[in-house]
Amino acid sequence: MGVINAREARVTDWTSRSVGAIWRAFDLQLATYAVLLTCFGLAMAYSNAVAGGDGALATGSVFLRGLLWTGIALVVFTVAAAFDYRWLKTLSWPLYALQLGLLGLTLAIGTGVGGSSRWVSILGLQFQFSELAKILMIVVLANYLGARRGRLDSIWSILGACLLAGPPWVLVMAQPDLGTSLVFAAILAGMLFMGGASLRWLSAMALTVLAMLPFIWTYVLRDYQKLRLTSFLDPLADVQDAGYQLYQAQIAVGSGGWFGKGLTNSTQNQLDFLPVQTTDFVFAILAEELGFIGALVVIALFIALIWRVLVTSWRSRDPFGTLFAAGLASMILFQLFVNVGMVTGIMPITGIPLPFITHGGASLISIAAGLGILESINIRQGRAEW
Amino acid sequence: MSTTELQFVSRRARDGRSPIRFVAFGLAVILAASVLTARLFALQIASGGRFVALAEYNRTVNQAIPSTRGVIYDRNGVPLVTNVPGYSVKVRPADLPEDRRPEVVGRLAALLGLDPADINIAIDSNPGSRFDLVRIASDVDPGVANFISESRLDLPGVEVVVESRRDYVTGSLLSQVIGYTGPINAVQLQELKPEGYLPDDLLGATGVEAEYEAVLRGTYGVESIEKDAQGRKIQVLRTLAEPVPGNSLELTIDVQAQRWAQQALEWGMSEAGLKRGVVIVMNPQTGEVLAMVSLPTYDDNLFAHGISNADYEALVANPNKPLTNGAIAEHFPPGSTYKLVAGTGGLADGEIKATTKLATKGYLTLGSTRFYDWNRRGFGACNMMCGFGHSSDTYFFQVAGMLGIDRLAHWAGEYGFGEPTGVDLPGEVSGIVPSNQWKLETLGTEIYPGEVYQAGIGQGYDVVTPLQLINAYTALANGGTLYEPRVVRNVLDAEGNVVQAYEPTVLHELDVDPSVLRTMRQAARNVVLIRHTYNLVDLPIVVAGKSGTAEFGTRDAQGRLPFHSWFVAFVPKDPAKTAADPTGMKAVAGTESELAVLAFAYDSRTRGNAATEIVKYYLQLHYGIDKDYRNFDLLERGNFYQSN
Repeated sequence: MGVINAREARVTDWTSRSVGAIWRAFDLQLATYAVLLTCFGLAMAYSNAVAGGDGALATGSVFLRGLLWTGIALVVFTVAAAFDYRWLKTLSWPLYALQLGLLGLTLAIGTGVGGSSRWVSILGLQFQFSELAKILMIVVLANYLGARRGRLDSIWSILGACLLAGPPWVLVMAQPDLGTSLVFAAILAGMLFMGGASLRWLSAMALTVLAMLPFIWTYVLRDYQKLRLTSFLDPLADVQDAGYQLYQAQIAVGSGGWFGKGLTNSTQNQLDFLPVQTTDFVFAILAEELGFIGALVVIALFIALIWRVLVTSWRSRDPFGTLFAAGLASMILFQLFVNVGMVTGIMPITGIPLPFITHGGASLISIAAGLGILESINIRQGRAEW
Repeated sequence: MSTTELQFVSRRARDGRSPIRFVAFGLAVILAASVLTARLFALQIASGGRFVALAEYNRTVNQAIPSTRGVIYDRNGVPLVTNVPGYSVKVRPADLPEDRRPEVVGRLAALLGLDPADINIAIDSNPGSRFDLVRIASDVDPGVANFISESRLDLPGVEVVVESRRDYVTGSLLSQVIGYTGPINAVQLQELKPEGYLPDDLLGATGVEAEYEAVLRGTYGVESIEKDAQGRKIQVLRTLAEPVPGNSLELTIDVQAQRWAQQALEWGMSEAGLKRGVVIVMNPQTGEVLAMVSLPTYDDNLFAHGISNADYEALVANPNKPLTNGAIAEHFPPGSTYKLVAGTGGLADGEIKATTKLATKGYLTLGSTRFYDWNRRGFGACNMMCGFGHSSDTYFFQVAGMLGIDRLAHWAGEYGFGEPTGVDLPGEVSGIVPSNQWKLETLGTEIYPGEVYQAGIGQGYDVVTPLQLINAYTALANGGTLYEPRVVRNVLDAEGNVVQAYEPTVLHELDVDPSVLRTMRQAARNVVLIRHTYNLVDLPIVVAGKSGTAEFGTRDAQGRLPFHSWFVAFVPKDPAKTAADPTGMKAVAGTESELAVLAFAYDSRTRGNAATEIVKYYLQLHYGIDKDYRNFDLLERGNFYQSN
């Protein structure tokens, strides 16, 4: 039923609209915030590359790879925006199969640190399919929940959504990638909440998860994961190992002051004190080099971006659009809070990247795809009523 | 608006897309942003620069600049210990991957000629953190050092550094006195860290090196260096404090006297087939030790070059204890030399006079037990000159009996027995002076009368260190002043100026009438005069002294005990014999003695007193006496127990 209605709308909208109307429906603000955040990410890549010592433009430098990924991300964004998002609903089940396939492939041939399998090498570039899986998860859930709109009071809708999210979640946990599995959970919860699921059942579910925590702690989590989760409580207890990154990250952030030490001037980075500064802890170097003001600007850009995503969600007449935007907003908010919280020592270390800022092609391309789909939703909402 | 759109609008209300949930989500976003902003503010602004300091600390560290350790001279300025630069090979465990360790250790062992096990032990017993260097080898051949520093890729975590090493110029001659430096251990590091000691530091382990560690070490300097997270030095930023070189020491030891003492002892030991022996030479007027030889010994340079565990274990396991300074670190029964205590006590307490004659015989009977004199015929009626001169046991049994154990203990204490002498060397033991209280405390019973007899002749519970014994005789020789023996005379600065001179330290003055000690000195001269010490009297110099034979251990098949020999002598000032004083009695009546010599022959069992012959040989060397008075036949070994 939903599918048929949407198709009707597409035909009428598409035929009646000019290029100018499409441009007006395009959310320029959203794109601007995204581009600015990408610039911050590139600036940090530049800083890291300089710190690496081989120069920013050396072959294979973090900055060069960042530029390459940004280029690819722009293409992905454009294609996704031009592509009629409504096909996603039709392609939902094949996309779900693709998601499971990618995660299965990662598990089978992926490489990672300490016996984990996270990355798959494509043409010499490491790619983390679990990032793409997040966007696919949002698409699949938006389709499922959108089709069941009006029936979201039912426990069965909630359980159905959980069942849908279950297999990818298990595959991600098996990598093991605790961070992505938590992002999946956040996406699911955000979409159920914004889709209007019964608060009663949502609370019941939340309580169930809470009750299962001891079980998960004992049987699911690996020792190093537990150590990382707990070391944030007292990083100084184990400064040399599990708490080391956290401690050094806090020193980096804390030493930034109001205006920071200036780009490329991080001592924590230059002298290699922050072990994975190029990945999940980049924000620490950002806060060190650009200071409180710089960090605040980045957070403000994220808030503005999430606001535009929510606006799209509200405006979309198509429940799929509403739910997709809600999922994307949940993902970005969750990753922002957990990553920055982790770097500043108020959240456990879970290996969740900060969109745009953390270097990594998969993260950037996935978020570009997500925002592209969002623009596609914006463009295809008929005549602007705003 | 088209119908379709109207449919959409009306449907929107039924979507359950509630504005309240959007508001709630928006509030969650604002809350999250606020929390993060507050946290960033707390870290970056409100922390007041604490993290700035921490980041700076990460980047720059204050690193110690080792100071030059002071060197050591003998009393005449002859260098005994110097510093020479050498290559050391060190390992930083953090930079040595565990899976490559066997390979790297194996390669290092081959290059350095070490046992791989020793290298592993060194790495595993590293007192510092994994980021601190561990010394693997010192004084490495320059070619090997060069090769190692050029093979960085094959030898991860291995570094070559130039550092100063101790060179013990006189080899084994003074090893036990000077001692050696060794790597700091975890316990010492914990204790000494506040004083600037480093995990790969060396510190004095034994002898003067240990006793005067604070003087020799100097003060380490501090430089501020920039380092990376691996602790590698990037560059020196500035020197905060220049290192202050350690002060040097001038020993009381006369290296020439030490050589003579060693020569005399080595001769006696090889002639009599002895395993262990001690010779000490002192100045009775100051308490200065001029020579201190304990054989067998070892070479401090073994430790300076980095001794292998196998070599070290061999030294420790050697039953003749080459690492032990027998002069101070062990005590032995003093035998008849201890009759000085009973004699002095008897005279001082008025139990006897110098002229009092006591009947000496083959034995005394106490209850049903016979206490034999070494001379089974006795010496007849004997005064102190006779009793001490012949070393009559029955004479001193009676004197000891008159005094009782506690008076004996008192006079032993007056001579410094039962307490460490306080010599400036580590490891000194106190010896044992039995008294009623001592026996009650340690064995739970009172002293038996027979044990008083034993105590009077230096047997039974009495044990003394050779240094205690010679120190007691220096007090006799100098008229009753008990000095604290010293091996270090002066502390010198880098230019050789005396910055601290150790004046002779008087432990106490003996509480006796000078005539008592004069009698005892003359009695000691009588020991020589009556040829109790064979031809010692023939020396062209005046020598007084007392021999001792101290039984120990377990009886052999013939019921004989093994025994140690002692001889402790003193020489008056200007000792050459004169026509005016042919017996030398006038010379020893004075208190201006210039030399005291002690020899101790462990488990000697020789026909004559081996220690006396060793002292005699030393005196011949010391005074340049060309004629040789040594009696080689007396050093024939069996199990003779003829005299005291």
